[in-house]
Amino acid sequence: MVKNKAQMKIQQMAFMLIAVMIFFALVGLLILSVGFSGLKEKATALQEKNAILLVSKLANSPEFSCPEKTNCIDLDKIMALKNNINNYKTNKDKNFWGVSNIEIIKIYPGGKFIECNSESYPNCNTLKLISEKTTGITAENFVSLCRKEYDSENYLTYDKCELGKILVKYEKIQ
Amino acid sequence: MIKNKKSKGQEEMVGFALIIILVSVILLVFLAFSLNKPKTEATGSYEVNSFLQSTLQYTTNCQTSKRFNTIQDLVFECDLKEKCFDEKDTCKVLNETLTDILKESWPTGEEWPNKRYELIINTGEEIILNIQEGNLTNNCKGSSQIFSKSKKEFSINFEVCE
Repeated sequence: MVKNKAQMKIQQMAFMLIAVMIFFALVGLLILSVGFSGLKEKATALQEKNAILLVSKLANSPEFSCPEKTNCIDLDKIMALKNNINNYKTNKDKNFWGVSNIEIIKIYPGGKFIECNSESYPNCNTLKLISEKTTGITAENFVSLCRKEYDSENYLTYDKCELGKILVKYEKIQ
Repeated sequence: MIKNKKSKGQEEMVGFALIIILVSVILLVFLAFSLNKPKTEATGSYEVNSFLQSTLQYTTNCQTSKRFNTIQDLVFECDLKEKCFDEKDTCKVLNETLTDILKESWPTGEEWPNKRYELIINTGEEIILNIQEGNLTNNCKGSSQIFSKSKKEFSINFEVCE
């Protein structure tokens, strides 16, 4: 009788332990699912932050910058870079900057859309340096767009700077 | 004997209920923390700051002393009441160019995200230029730049409201 009672107690405790374990496992699963649910948003926010950081420092990087000026893009240099952009590909899908798009747009003086290439330059207003994907996270910043211009009246070369924007696009995490 | 067994069973039930309550409270606290995480900050004023820097470097059509003036040069020339080679007033060219730049760069109005902008250029004593458009809101971001020539200090302040 006493043995039976003890066995019953052990069985009861075993069931209780199993129930408690299942309960904790379920709670753990719930916590994990809540934790991982924001992971994609976190990655997207991080990419957005990266895009903003890149766009704010890109104009001052050696490949883009003008001599003795800050926040300025040398358009003559960028046209040369555009013609040699394949040298900046690190592998099949990636480029040196790790972005899917880099575009430079002239804002002022404005005009109708003319894409910059060796024929239209400098009378153009949109320069697509890298254009791999059309959708993604975009960050933009104002920049000064400078190029060398010849003043035929005074027979001198000067820096002509206009106002533009640089747009950087990251591919969105699916 | 039966009464004793009953009370023991009740005790165990209370214990189990306590465990559930404790875990539920922990879970609720965790949920509250995960839902109330601070959101990432808005873009800030880096765009406004870059706009000011770039605008000051813009080359205008006003020529004085055999070179084309930038907006920054025009501020100095305007302060000295100089004229361009084509006899246009430097202050007028400065005003017109900046008004056009602002209209193209920061379109304002109900249908645009920006509701107002204001640009002020001044020396210590007087305001050289003040361009503003739109109505004031609570969400504004601004930037200012200081530059000097011949020991005279100039400042340009720009503010955009969303």
